[in-house]
Amino acid sequence: MKKASSINVGTRLIVQLFLLVLVIGSLLPLYNVIAASLKSVDEFVANPFFPPRSPISGNFVYAALSSHLLRYAVNSLILVPIGLVLYLAVCVSAGYAFGKMRFRLKRPLFLLVLFLTIFPQLLLAIQVFKLISLLHLTSTGLGVILTWVAYFSPFGTYIMTTYFTDMPYELVEAARIDGASPLRILVQVMTPLAMPMIATVAIIGFQSMWNELPFSLLILQNPAARTLTLGIAMMRGEYGLAVPTLSAALVIAMAVPLVMFLIFQRRITLGATAGAIKG
Amino acid sequence: MRHRGLDRDGIAPYLFLAPLLVLLAAFILYPVIMNLIASFTEWKGYGAMKWTGLSNYRAMVSDQAFWTSISNTAILVCYIPLSTIITVFVAALLREGIRGWQAYRAILYIPNLLGPVIIGVVFSIYLRDDGSLNLLIKWAGGSTVRFLSSPSIAINSIGLVQVVWVHLGFGLIYFLAAMNGIDQSIYEAALIDGAGYFQTLWRVTVPSIRFAIEFWVVFSFIEVFARMFSYIYTLTRGGPGYGTFTLEYGIFVQGFEKFRVGYSSAWSAVLFIFCAVISVMQIRLMRRRNS
Repeated sequence: MKKASSINVGTRLIVQLFLLVLVIGSLLPLYNVIAASLKSVDEFVANPFFPPRSPISGNFVYAALSSHLLRYAVNSLILVPIGLVLYLAVCVSAGYAFGKMRFRLKRPLFLLVLFLTIFPQLLLAIQVFKLISLLHLTSTGLGVILTWVAYFSPFGTYIMTTYFTDMPYELVEAARIDGASPLRILVQVMTPLAMPMIATVAIIGFQSMWNELPFSLLILQNPAARTLTLGIAMMRGEYGLAVPTLSAALVIAMAVPLVMFLIFQRRITLGATAGAIKG
Repeated sequence: MRHRGLDRDGIAPYLFLAPLLVLLAAFILYPVIMNLIASFTEWKGYGAMKWTGLSNYRAMVSDQAFWTSISNTAILVCYIPLSTIITVFVAALLREGIRGWQAYRAILYIPNLLGPVIIGVVFSIYLRDDGSLNLLIKWAGGSTVRFLSSPSIAINSIGLVQVVWVHLGFGLIYFLAAMNGIDQSIYEAALIDGAGYFQTLWRVTVPSIRFAIEFWVVFSFIEVFARMFSYIYTLTRGGPGYGTFTLEYGIFVQGFEKFRVGYSSAWSAVLFIFCAVISVMQIRLMRRRNS
Protein backbone atom coordinates (compact mmCIF):
# COMPACT_ATOMS: atom_id res chain seq x y z
CA MET A 1 0.00 0.00 0.00
CA LYS A 2 2.92 2.33 0.63
CA LYS A 3 3.82 4.72 -2.08
CA ALA A 4 5.61 8.01 -2.39
CA SER A 5 3.06 10.29 -0.76
CA SER A 6 2.35 13.59 -2.36
CA ILE A 7 0.36 15.18 0.47
CA ASN A 8 1.70 16.96 3.54
CA VAL A 9 0.69 16.79 7.18
CA GLY A 10 -1.89 19.58 7.05
CA THR A 11 -3.67 18.04 4.10
CA ARG A 12 -3.48 14.68 5.81
CA LEU A 13 -5.48 16.11 8.71
CA ILE A 14 -8.16 17.47 6.41
CA VAL A 15 -8.37 14.11 4.64
CA GLN A 16 -8.78 12.32 7.99
CA LEU A 17 -11.55 14.72 8.92
CA PHE A 18 -13.30 14.23 5.58
CA LEU A 19 -13.12 10.44 5.90
CA LEU A 20 -14.43 10.58 9.46
CA VAL A 21 -17.43 12.63 8.38
CA LEU A 22 -18.03 10.21 5.51
CA VAL A 23 -17.93 7.18 7.80
CA ILE A 24 -20.14 8.76 10.46
CA GLY A 25 -22.64 9.87 7.84
CA SER A 26 -22.60 6.39 6.45
CA LEU A 27 -23.24 4.78 9.83
CA LEU A 28 -26.01 7.16 10.91
CA PRO A 29 -28.85 5.24 9.21
CA LEU A 30 -27.69 2.05 10.90
CA TYR A 31 -27.22 3.75 14.26
CA ASN A 32 -30.72 5.17 13.87
CA VAL A 33 -32.21 1.70 13.49
CA ILE A 34 -30.21 0.21 16.36
CA ALA A 35 -31.20 3.08 18.68
CA ALA A 36 -34.87 2.81 17.68
CA SER A 37 -34.89 -0.93 18.32
CA LEU A 38 -34.12 -0.26 21.99
CA LYS A 39 -36.87 2.30 22.54
CA SER A 40 -40.47 1.92 23.56
CA VAL A 41 -42.98 3.44 21.12
CA ASP A 42 -43.56 6.34 23.53
CA GLU A 43 -39.89 7.06 23.86
CA PHE A 44 -39.39 6.81 20.09
CA VAL A 45 -42.07 9.46 19.51
CA ALA A 46 -40.53 11.77 22.11
CA ASN A 47 -36.93 11.05 21.20
CA PRO A 48 -36.54 9.69 17.68
CA PHE A 49 -32.82 10.38 17.28
CA PHE A 50 -30.72 10.27 20.43
CA PRO A 51 -29.75 7.02 22.19
CA PRO A 52 -32.51 5.51 24.35
CA ARG A 53 -32.67 6.82 27.93
CA SER A 54 -34.05 3.53 29.21
CA PRO A 55 -33.24 0.76 26.73
CA ILE A 56 -35.74 -2.08 26.49
CA SER A 57 -35.50 -5.52 24.89
CA GLY A 58 -39.22 -6.03 24.34
CA ASN A 59 -39.06 -5.10 20.66
CA PHE A 60 -36.70 -7.97 19.96
CA VAL A 61 -38.90 -10.51 21.70
CA TYR A 62 -41.93 -9.18 19.85
CA ALA A 63 -40.20 -9.15 16.45
CA ALA A 64 -38.71 -12.61 16.89
CA LEU A 65 -41.91 -14.30 18.03
CA SER A 66 -45.00 -12.36 17.01
CA SER A 67 -43.57 -11.45 13.62
CA HIS A 68 -42.33 -15.01 13.07
CA LEU A 69 -38.83 -13.73 12.43
CA LEU A 70 -37.25 -16.75 14.11
CA ARG A 71 -39.17 -19.03 11.84
CA TYR A 72 -38.04 -17.07 8.78
CA ALA A 73 -34.44 -17.21 9.99
CA VAL A 74 -34.69 -20.98 10.35
CA ASN A 75 -36.13 -21.19 6.82
CA SER A 76 -33.20 -19.19 5.46
CA LEU A 77 -30.69 -21.24 7.41
CA ILE A 78 -32.11 -24.40 5.83
CA LEU A 79 -32.70 -23.20 2.27
CA VAL A 80 -29.53 -21.22 1.68
CA PRO A 81 -26.98 -23.92 2.68
CA ILE A 82 -28.78 -26.57 0.60
CA GLY A 83 -28.91 -24.18 -2.33
CA LEU A 84 -25.26 -23.37 -1.78
CA VAL A 85 -24.15 -27.01 -2.01
CA LEU A 86 -26.04 -27.50 -5.28
CA TYR A 87 -24.75 -24.18 -6.60
CA LEU A 88 -21.13 -25.11 -5.87
CA ALA A 89 -21.53 -28.52 -7.49
CA VAL A 90 -22.98 -26.91 -10.63
CA CYS A 91 -20.39 -24.12 -10.82
CA VAL A 92 -17.33 -26.25 -10.09
CA SER A 93 -18.17 -29.01 -12.56
CA ALA A 94 -19.19 -26.55 -15.30
CA GLY A 95 -16.21 -24.31 -14.55
CA TYR A 96 -13.86 -27.26 -14.84
CA ALA A 97 -15.41 -28.32 -18.17
CA PHE A 98 -15.02 -24.80 -19.57
CA GLY A 99 -11.62 -24.20 -18.03
CA LYS A 100 -9.73 -27.43 -18.67
CA MET A 101 -11.61 -29.66 -21.13
CA ARG A 102 -11.76 -29.64 -24.91
CA PHE A 103 -15.00 -29.96 -26.78
CA ARG A 104 -16.48 -28.56 -29.91
CA LEU A 105 -19.22 -26.38 -28.41
CA LYS A 106 -17.03 -24.86 -25.71
CA ARG A 107 -16.85 -21.35 -27.12
CA PRO A 108 -20.52 -20.86 -28.03
CA LEU A 109 -21.72 -22.44 -24.77
CA PHE A 110 -19.39 -20.32 -22.67
CA LEU A 111 -20.50 -17.17 -24.47
CA LEU A 112 -24.11 -18.17 -23.84
CA VAL A 113 -23.41 -18.58 -20.12
CA LEU A 114 -21.72 -15.17 -20.01
CA PHE A 115 -24.60 -13.63 -21.90
CA LEU A 116 -27.15 -14.99 -19.43
CA THR A 117 -25.37 -13.72 -16.28
CA ILE A 118 -27.03 -10.38 -15.87
CA PHE A 119 -30.69 -10.60 -16.79
CA PRO A 120 -32.83 -9.23 -13.95
CA GLN A 121 -35.06 -11.54 -11.96
CA LEU A 122 -38.16 -9.62 -12.99
CA LEU A 123 -37.47 -10.28 -16.66
CA LEU A 124 -37.73 -14.01 -15.96
CA ALA A 125 -40.12 -13.99 -13.04
CA ILE A 126 -43.46 -14.50 -14.75
CA GLN A 127 -42.34 -17.50 -16.77
CA VAL A 128 -40.34 -18.93 -13.86
CA PHE A 129 -43.44 -18.59 -11.72
CA LYS A 130 -45.46 -20.47 -14.37
CA LEU A 131 -42.80 -23.18 -14.56
CA ILE A 132 -42.65 -23.56 -10.77
CA SER A 133 -46.41 -23.92 -10.47
CA LEU A 134 -46.39 -26.39 -13.38
CA LEU A 135 -43.93 -28.49 -11.37
CA HIS A 136 -46.14 -28.09 -8.26
CA LEU A 137 -43.27 -26.41 -6.44
CA THR A 138 -45.01 -23.16 -5.43
CA SER A 139 -44.24 -22.29 -1.79
CA THR A 140 -41.72 -25.11 -1.52
CA GLY A 141 -38.08 -24.86 -0.62
CA LEU A 142 -37.11 -26.93 -3.64
CA GLY A 143 -38.82 -24.49 -5.97
CA VAL A 144 -36.93 -21.48 -4.71
CA ILE A 145 -33.64 -23.40 -4.39
CA LEU A 146 -33.75 -24.58 -8.02
CA THR A 147 -34.51 -21.06 -9.17
CA TRP A 148 -31.67 -19.57 -7.11
CA VAL A 149 -29.16 -22.13 -8.32
CA ALA A 150 -30.18 -21.60 -11.94
CA TYR A 151 -30.12 -17.83 -11.63
CA PHE A 152 -26.82 -17.43 -9.77
CA SER A 153 -24.80 -20.24 -11.38
CA PRO A 154 -23.66 -18.46 -14.55
CA PHE A 155 -21.60 -15.94 -12.58
CA GLY A 156 -20.12 -18.58 -10.28
CA THR A 157 -19.33 -20.70 -13.32
CA TYR A 158 -17.56 -17.77 -14.93
CA ILE A 159 -15.34 -17.25 -11.87
CA MET A 160 -14.54 -20.95 -11.55
CA THR A 161 -13.76 -21.09 -15.27
CA THR A 162 -11.19 -18.30 -15.08
CA TYR A 163 -9.58 -20.03 -12.10
CA PHE A 164 -9.40 -23.46 -13.74
CA THR A 165 -8.12 -21.93 -16.97
CA ASP A 166 -5.16 -20.47 -15.11
CA MET A 167 -4.23 -23.75 -13.43
CA PRO A 168 -1.33 -25.68 -15.00
CA TYR A 169 -2.43 -28.21 -17.55
CA GLU A 170 0.18 -30.75 -16.45
CA LEU A 171 -1.94 -31.61 -13.39
CA VAL A 172 -4.72 -32.93 -15.59
CA GLU A 173 -2.29 -34.70 -17.91
CA ALA A 174 -0.48 -36.45 -15.06
CA ALA A 175 -3.73 -37.72 -13.58
CA ARG A 176 -4.91 -38.79 -17.00
CA ILE A 177 -1.74 -40.81 -17.62
CA ASP A 178 -2.29 -42.48 -14.25
CA GLY A 179 -5.57 -43.66 -15.69
CA ALA A 180 -7.93 -41.49 -13.65
CA SER A 181 -11.42 -40.94 -15.07
CA PRO A 182 -12.57 -37.36 -15.79
CA LEU A 183 -14.84 -37.41 -12.74
CA ARG A 184 -11.98 -38.63 -10.56
CA ILE A 185 -9.69 -35.92 -11.89
CA LEU A 186 -12.29 -33.29 -11.10
CA VAL A 187 -13.21 -34.53 -7.63
CA GLN A 188 -9.86 -35.78 -6.32
CA VAL A 189 -7.28 -33.64 -8.11
CA MET A 190 -8.74 -30.35 -9.28
CA THR A 191 -11.35 -29.60 -6.61
CA PRO A 192 -8.89 -29.72 -3.69
CA LEU A 193 -6.51 -27.45 -5.61
CA ALA A 194 -9.32 -25.02 -6.40
CA MET A 195 -10.45 -24.73 -2.77
CA PRO A 196 -9.41 -21.08 -2.29
CA MET A 197 -11.56 -19.97 -5.22
CA ILE A 198 -14.38 -22.33 -4.30
CA ALA A 199 -14.48 -20.68 -0.88
CA THR A 200 -14.72 -17.28 -2.54
CA VAL A 201 -17.49 -18.45 -4.86
CA ALA A 202 -19.27 -19.96 -1.84
CA ILE A 203 -19.27 -16.55 -0.14
CA ILE A 204 -20.63 -14.86 -3.26
CA GLY A 205 -23.31 -17.55 -3.60
CA PHE A 206 -24.27 -17.32 0.05
CA GLN A 207 -24.69 -13.56 -0.09
CA SER A 208 -26.65 -13.73 -3.35
CA MET A 209 -29.11 -16.31 -2.05
CA TRP A 210 -29.39 -14.92 1.46
CA ASN A 211 -30.30 -11.46 0.12
CA GLU A 212 -32.47 -12.58 -2.80
CA LEU A 213 -35.91 -11.02 -2.89
CA PRO A 214 -37.88 -11.14 -6.18
CA PHE A 215 -37.94 -14.92 -6.71
CA SER A 216 -38.67 -15.68 -3.05
CA LEU A 217 -41.41 -13.05 -3.08
CA LEU A 218 -43.15 -14.71 -6.01
CA ILE A 219 -42.48 -18.39 -5.29
CA LEU A 220 -42.90 -18.51 -1.50
CA GLN A 221 -46.55 -17.49 -1.33
CA ASN A 222 -47.25 -19.24 1.94
CA PRO A 223 -46.22 -16.89 4.77
CA ALA A 224 -44.83 -19.80 6.82
CA ALA A 225 -42.31 -20.54 4.04
CA ARG A 226 -40.78 -17.04 3.90
CA THR A 227 -37.06 -16.45 4.09
CA LEU A 228 -35.65 -13.91 6.52
CA THR A 229 -35.05 -11.42 3.71
CA LEU A 230 -38.58 -11.84 2.39
CA GLY A 231 -40.02 -11.59 5.89
CA ILE A 232 -38.25 -8.26 6.43
CA ALA A 233 -39.39 -6.93 3.07
CA MET A 234 -43.01 -7.84 3.88
CA MET A 235 -42.86 -6.28 7.35
CA ARG A 236 -41.98 -2.97 5.74
CA GLY A 237 -45.45 -2.80 4.20
CA GLU A 238 -47.34 -4.01 7.25
CA TYR A 239 -49.93 -1.49 8.30
CA GLY A 240 -49.53 -0.03 11.79
CA LEU A 241 -46.26 -1.77 12.55
CA ALA A 242 -44.33 0.49 14.94
CA VAL A 243 -40.86 1.69 13.92
CA PRO A 244 -39.15 0.26 17.05
CA THR A 245 -40.50 -3.23 16.25
CA LEU A 246 -39.43 -2.98 12.63
CA SER A 247 -36.05 -1.73 13.76
CA ALA A 248 -35.61 -4.67 16.12
CA ALA A 249 -36.45 -7.01 13.24
CA LEU A 250 -33.81 -5.30 11.13
CA VAL A 251 -31.17 -5.60 13.83
CA ILE A 252 -31.90 -9.33 14.13
CA ALA A 253 -31.65 -9.70 10.36
CA MET A 254 -28.34 -7.82 10.25
CA ALA A 255 -26.74 -10.26 12.67
CA VAL A 256 -26.06 -13.06 10.21
CA PRO A 257 -24.29 -11.03 7.50
CA LEU A 258 -22.31 -9.05 10.09
CA VAL A 259 -21.13 -12.18 11.91
CA MET A 260 -20.20 -13.64 8.53
CA PHE A 261 -18.17 -10.54 7.80
CA LEU A 262 -16.30 -10.69 11.09
CA ILE A 263 -15.35 -14.31 10.46
CA PHE A 264 -14.63 -14.20 6.74
CA GLN A 265 -13.58 -10.56 6.26
CA ARG A 266 -10.58 -11.31 4.08
CA ARG A 267 -12.40 -13.75 1.86
CA ILE A 268 -15.41 -11.47 1.47
CA THR A 269 -13.10 -8.66 0.46
CA LEU A 270 -11.49 -10.94 -2.11
CA GLY A 271 -14.89 -12.12 -3.28
CA ALA A 272 -15.99 -8.57 -3.99
CA THR A 273 -13.40 -8.29 -6.72
CA ALA A 274 -13.31 -11.89 -7.92
CA GLY A 275 -15.51 -11.30 -10.91
CA ALA A 276 -13.64 -8.35 -12.24
CA ILE A 277 -9.93 -8.48 -11.50
CA LYS A 278 -7.60 -11.21 -12.53
CA GLY A 279 -5.85 -13.15 -9.78
CA MET B 1 -0.75 -32.92 -26.31
CA ARG B 2 -3.10 -29.98 -26.02
CA HIS B 3 -4.10 -29.89 -29.65
CA ARG B 4 -5.03 -33.47 -30.24
CA GLY B 5 -8.43 -32.51 -31.61
CA LEU B 6 -11.40 -30.49 -30.58
CA ASP B 7 -13.35 -33.33 -29.08
CA ARG B 8 -10.53 -34.95 -27.20
CA ASP B 9 -12.52 -35.27 -24.00
CA GLY B 10 -15.48 -36.93 -25.67
CA ILE B 11 -18.80 -36.79 -23.89
CA ALA B 12 -17.43 -35.99 -20.40
CA PRO B 13 -17.50 -32.17 -20.70
CA TYR B 14 -21.12 -32.26 -21.77
CA LEU B 15 -21.98 -34.37 -18.75
CA PHE B 16 -20.15 -31.91 -16.49
CA LEU B 17 -22.08 -29.07 -18.08
CA ALA B 18 -25.44 -30.83 -18.08
CA PRO B 19 -26.74 -29.55 -14.72
CA LEU B 20 -25.87 -25.96 -15.60
CA LEU B 21 -27.27 -26.15 -19.11
CA VAL B 22 -30.52 -27.81 -18.05
CA LEU B 23 -31.09 -25.17 -15.36
CA LEU B 24 -30.23 -22.32 -17.71
CA ALA B 25 -32.49 -23.65 -20.43
CA ALA B 26 -35.43 -24.04 -18.05
CA PHE B 27 -35.03 -20.96 -15.86
CA ILE B 28 -33.44 -18.34 -18.09
CA LEU B 29 -33.52 -19.18 -21.80
CA TYR B 30 -37.06 -20.53 -21.88
CA PRO B 31 -38.48 -17.59 -19.86
CA VAL B 32 -36.76 -15.04 -22.11
CA ILE B 33 -38.16 -16.64 -25.26
CA MET B 34 -41.63 -17.20 -23.81
CA ASN B 35 -41.72 -13.57 -22.72
CA LEU B 36 -41.03 -12.45 -26.22
CA ILE B 37 -43.89 -14.59 -27.54
CA ALA B 38 -46.24 -13.49 -24.76
CA SER B 39 -45.56 -9.85 -25.58
CA PHE B 40 -47.60 -10.26 -28.77
CA THR B 41 -50.59 -11.72 -26.94
CA GLU B 42 -53.26 -10.85 -24.47
CA TRP B 43 -52.73 -13.19 -21.55
CA LYS B 44 -53.58 -13.20 -17.86
CA GLY B 45 -50.80 -15.62 -16.97
CA TYR B 46 -53.16 -18.58 -17.11
CA GLY B 47 -55.61 -19.87 -19.70
CA ALA B 48 -55.23 -19.33 -23.43
CA MET B 49 -53.03 -16.69 -25.04
CA LYS B 50 -54.82 -14.47 -27.54
CA TRP B 51 -52.62 -13.23 -30.35
CA THR B 52 -52.91 -9.47 -30.59
CA GLY B 53 -49.90 -8.52 -32.68
CA LEU B 54 -48.31 -5.25 -31.72
CA SER B 55 -51.15 -3.92 -29.60
CA ASN B 56 -49.23 -4.36 -26.32
CA TYR B 57 -46.39 -2.31 -27.74
CA ARG B 58 -48.80 0.35 -28.96
CA ALA B 59 -50.39 0.51 -25.50
CA MET B 60 -46.95 0.71 -23.94
CA VAL B 61 -45.70 3.71 -25.89
CA SER B 62 -48.82 5.65 -24.93
CA ASP B 63 -48.54 4.61 -21.28
CA GLN B 64 -47.32 7.40 -19.01
CA ALA B 65 -45.94 4.88 -16.53
CA PHE B 66 -43.68 3.43 -19.23
CA TRP B 67 -42.10 6.77 -20.08
CA THR B 68 -41.75 7.63 -16.40
CA SER B 69 -39.91 4.32 -15.95
CA ILE B 70 -37.58 5.14 -18.82
CA SER B 71 -36.83 8.64 -17.54
CA ASN B 72 -36.36 7.33 -13.99
CA THR B 73 -33.80 4.86 -15.31
CA ALA B 74 -32.10 7.74 -17.13
CA ILE B 75 -31.97 9.68 -13.85
CA LEU B 76 -30.37 6.71 -12.10
CA VAL B 77 -27.85 6.43 -14.94
CA CYS B 78 -26.88 10.06 -14.29
CA TYR B 79 -25.69 9.03 -10.82
CA ILE B 80 -23.12 6.65 -12.32
CA PRO B 81 -20.54 9.37 -13.18
CA LEU B 82 -21.02 10.95 -9.75
CA SER B 83 -20.52 7.62 -8.01
CA THR B 84 -17.48 6.82 -10.15
CA ILE B 85 -15.78 10.14 -9.40
CA ILE B 86 -16.47 9.99 -5.66
CA THR B 87 -15.38 6.38 -5.37
CA VAL B 88 -12.13 6.77 -7.32
CA PHE B 89 -11.36 9.93 -5.36
CA VAL B 90 -11.93 8.35 -1.94
CA ALA B 91 -10.00 5.24 -2.98
CA ALA B 92 -7.07 7.44 -4.02
CA LEU B 93 -7.24 9.21 -0.63
CA LEU B 94 -7.23 5.94 1.31
CA ARG B 95 -4.22 4.90 -0.71
CA GLU B 96 -2.14 7.77 0.65
CA GLY B 97 -1.37 5.65 3.68
CA ILE B 98 -4.02 7.39 5.77
CA ARG B 99 -4.07 6.04 9.33
CA GLY B 100 -6.86 3.51 9.69
CA TRP B 101 -7.57 3.19 5.98
CA GLN B 102 -8.43 -0.48 6.38
CA ALA B 103 -11.04 0.33 9.01
CA TYR B 104 -12.59 3.00 6.76
CA ARG B 105 -12.70 0.54 3.91
CA ALA B 106 -14.33 -2.14 6.07
CA ILE B 107 -16.95 0.20 7.56
CA LEU B 108 -17.92 1.67 4.21
CA TYR B 109 -18.35 -1.87 2.87
CA ILE B 110 -21.08 -2.74 5.43
CA PRO B 111 -24.03 -1.67 3.19
CA ASN B 112 -22.95 -4.22 0.58
CA LEU B 113 -22.96 -6.89 3.22
CA LEU B 114 -26.43 -6.21 4.51
CA GLY B 115 -28.03 -6.55 1.11
CA PRO B 116 -30.66 -4.48 -0.69
CA VAL B 117 -33.67 -5.47 1.42
CA ILE B 118 -32.20 -4.51 4.79
CA ILE B 119 -30.68 -1.34 3.32
CA GLY B 120 -33.98 -0.45 1.68
CA VAL B 121 -35.97 -0.86 4.90
CA VAL B 122 -33.31 0.94 6.97
CA PHE B 123 -33.54 3.94 4.65
CA SER B 124 -37.32 3.78 4.50
CA ILE B 125 -37.15 4.63 8.22
CA TYR B 126 -34.24 7.05 8.03
CA LEU B 127 -35.60 9.11 5.12
CA ARG B 128 -39.21 9.49 6.27
CA ASP B 129 -40.64 12.99 6.39
CA ASP B 130 -40.41 12.79 10.19
CA GLY B 131 -37.32 10.58 10.12
CA SER B 132 -33.91 11.21 11.60
CA LEU B 133 -32.29 12.79 8.57
CA ASN B 134 -35.04 15.39 8.36
CA LEU B 135 -34.67 15.96 12.08
CA LEU B 136 -30.97 16.68 11.57
CA ILE B 137 -31.77 18.96 8.64
CA LYS B 138 -34.26 20.85 10.77
CA TRP B 139 -31.74 21.25 13.60
CA ALA B 140 -29.27 22.59 11.08
CA GLY B 141 -31.84 25.22 10.13
CA GLY B 142 -33.20 23.65 6.93
CA SER B 143 -36.74 22.66 6.08
CA THR B 144 -38.13 19.16 5.61
CA VAL B 145 -36.97 17.39 2.45
CA ARG B 146 -39.59 14.92 1.20
CA PHE B 147 -36.98 12.30 0.32
CA LEU B 148 -39.44 9.49 -0.34
CA SER B 149 -42.82 11.19 -0.48
CA SER B 150 -42.22 13.56 -3.37
CA PRO B 151 -42.24 11.89 -6.80
CA SER B 152 -39.51 14.12 -8.21
CA ILE B 153 -37.20 13.69 -5.21
CA ALA B 154 -37.80 10.01 -4.44
CA ILE B 155 -36.03 8.64 -7.51
CA ASN B 156 -33.04 10.81 -6.67
CA SER B 157 -33.02 9.48 -3.12
CA ILE B 158 -32.88 5.96 -4.53
CA GLY B 159 -30.06 7.01 -6.85
CA LEU B 160 -28.06 8.47 -3.99
CA VAL B 161 -28.67 5.56 -1.63
CA GLN B 162 -28.05 2.76 -4.06
CA VAL B 163 -25.92 4.01 -6.93
CA VAL B 164 -23.69 6.24 -4.82
CA TRP B 165 -23.78 5.19 -1.16
CA VAL B 166 -24.02 1.40 -1.38
CA HIS B 167 -21.58 1.23 -4.27
CA LEU B 168 -18.97 3.32 -2.52
CA GLY B 169 -17.87 0.49 -0.25
CA PHE B 170 -17.70 -2.04 -3.03
CA GLY B 171 -15.86 0.39 -5.29
CA LEU B 172 -13.25 1.18 -2.64
CA ILE B 173 -12.26 -2.46 -2.36
CA TYR B 174 -12.32 -2.79 -6.11
CA PHE B 175 -10.33 0.32 -6.99
CA LEU B 176 -7.84 -0.11 -4.15
CA ALA B 177 -7.08 -3.59 -5.49
CA ALA B 178 -6.65 -2.15 -8.98
CA MET B 179 -4.44 0.69 -7.73
CA ASN B 180 -2.24 -1.82 -5.96
CA GLY B 181 -1.10 -3.03 -9.33
CA ILE B 182 0.25 0.35 -10.41
CA ASP B 183 4.01 0.54 -10.79
CA GLN B 184 5.42 2.70 -7.95
CA SER B 185 8.18 4.20 -10.07
CA ILE B 186 5.60 6.14 -12.09
CA TYR B 187 4.62 7.99 -8.92
CA GLU B 188 8.18 8.71 -7.98
CA ALA B 189 8.78 10.09 -11.46
CA ALA B 190 5.66 12.27 -11.16
CA LEU B 191 6.86 13.52 -7.76
CA ILE B 192 10.25 14.42 -9.14
CA ASP B 193 8.57 16.23 -12.02
CA GLY B 194 6.81 18.30 -9.36
CA ALA B 195 3.30 17.13 -10.23
CA GLY B 196 0.67 18.16 -7.66
CA TYR B 197 -1.78 15.80 -6.02
CA PHE B 198 -4.70 16.24 -8.39
CA GLN B 199 -2.41 16.28 -11.38
CA THR B 200 -0.96 12.92 -10.30
CA LEU B 201 -4.43 11.54 -9.65
CA TRP B 202 -5.69 12.59 -13.07
CA ARG B 203 -2.55 11.94 -15.13
CA VAL B 204 -1.19 8.81 -13.44
CA THR B 205 -3.70 7.00 -11.24
CA VAL B 206 -6.80 7.28 -13.41
CA PRO B 207 -5.16 6.17 -16.70
CA SER B 208 -3.47 3.27 -14.87
CA ILE B 209 -6.80 1.88 -13.65
CA ARG B 210 -8.74 2.77 -16.81
CA PHE B 211 -9.66 -0.84 -17.37
CA ALA B 212 -11.03 -1.20 -13.84
CA ILE B 213 -13.06 1.97 -14.33
CA GLU B 214 -14.59 0.64 -17.54
CA PHE B 215 -15.55 -2.55 -15.74
CA TRP B 216 -17.01 -0.53 -12.90
CA VAL B 217 -19.17 1.55 -15.24
CA VAL B 218 -20.58 -1.54 -16.93
CA PHE B 219 -21.21 -3.06 -13.51
CA SER B 220 -23.06 0.12 -12.49
CA PHE B 221 -25.25 -0.09 -15.59
CA ILE B 222 -26.14 -3.67 -14.65
CA GLU B 223 -27.10 -2.51 -11.18
CA VAL B 224 -29.29 0.31 -12.50
CA PHE B 225 -31.09 -1.73 -15.14
CA ALA B 226 -31.22 -5.13 -13.51
CA ARG B 227 -30.72 -4.93 -9.73
CA MET B 228 -32.97 -2.10 -8.52
CA PHE B 229 -36.16 -4.01 -7.75
CA SER B 230 -35.39 -4.89 -4.13
CA TYR B 231 -34.48 -1.30 -3.28
CA ILE B 232 -37.59 0.12 -4.90
CA TYR B 233 -39.84 -2.52 -3.37
CA THR B 234 -38.61 -1.78 0.13
CA LEU B 235 -38.10 1.99 -0.17
CA THR B 236 -41.10 3.29 -2.09
CA ARG B 237 -43.07 0.43 -3.67
CA GLY B 238 -42.74 2.32 -6.96
CA GLY B 239 -44.50 5.38 -5.57
CA PRO B 240 -45.50 8.02 -4.96
CA GLY B 241 -47.63 7.54 -8.04
CA TYR B 242 -45.29 6.21 -10.69
CA GLY B 243 -42.55 8.31 -9.11
CA THR B 244 -40.01 5.52 -8.71
CA PHE B 245 -41.15 3.11 -11.41
CA THR B 246 -38.40 1.47 -13.44
CA LEU B 247 -38.85 -1.16 -16.16
CA GLU B 248 -38.27 -3.90 -13.56
CA TYR B 249 -40.85 -2.47 -11.21
CA GLY B 250 -43.36 -1.90 -14.00
CA ILE B 251 -43.11 -5.53 -15.05
CA PHE B 252 -43.81 -6.54 -11.47
CA VAL B 253 -46.88 -4.31 -11.14
CA GLN B 254 -48.37 -5.14 -14.55
CA GLY B 255 -47.63 -8.86 -14.35
CA PHE B 256 -48.22 -9.72 -10.71
CA GLU B 257 -50.54 -7.05 -9.39
CA LYS B 258 -52.69 -6.30 -12.42
CA PHE B 259 -52.33 -9.72 -14.07
CA ARG B 260 -51.70 -8.15 -17.47
CA VAL B 261 -48.98 -10.65 -18.30
CA GLY B 262 -49.03 -10.08 -22.06
CA TYR B 263 -48.67 -6.36 -21.55
CA SER B 264 -45.92 -6.69 -18.95
CA SER B 265 -44.07 -8.95 -21.40
CA ALA B 266 -43.83 -6.03 -23.80
CA TRP B 267 -42.04 -4.09 -21.02
CA SER B 268 -39.85 -7.16 -20.54
CA ALA B 269 -38.92 -7.10 -24.21
CA VAL B 270 -37.66 -3.52 -23.85
CA LEU B 271 -35.74 -4.40 -20.68
CA PHE B 272 -34.32 -7.43 -22.47
CA ILE B 273 -32.89 -5.25 -25.23
CA PHE B 274 -31.20 -2.90 -22.74
CA CYS B 275 -29.78 -5.83 -20.77
CA ALA B 276 -28.62 -7.65 -23.91
CA VAL B 277 -26.63 -4.58 -24.95
CA ILE B 278 -25.08 -4.26 -21.48
CA SER B 279 -24.35 -7.98 -21.42
CA VAL B 280 -22.51 -7.79 -24.74
CA MET B 281 -20.50 -4.82 -23.45
CA GLN B 282 -19.54 -6.85 -20.37
CA ILE B 283 -18.55 -9.88 -22.41
CA ARG B 284 -16.29 -7.73 -24.58
CA LEU B 285 -14.58 -6.39 -21.47
CA MET B 286 -14.19 -9.85 -19.96
CA ARG B 287 -12.66 -11.19 -23.15
CA ARG B 288 -10.24 -8.31 -23.39
CA ARG B 289 -9.25 -8.93 -19.81
CA ASN B 290 -8.58 -12.60 -20.42
CA SER B 291 -6.59 -12.11 -23.59
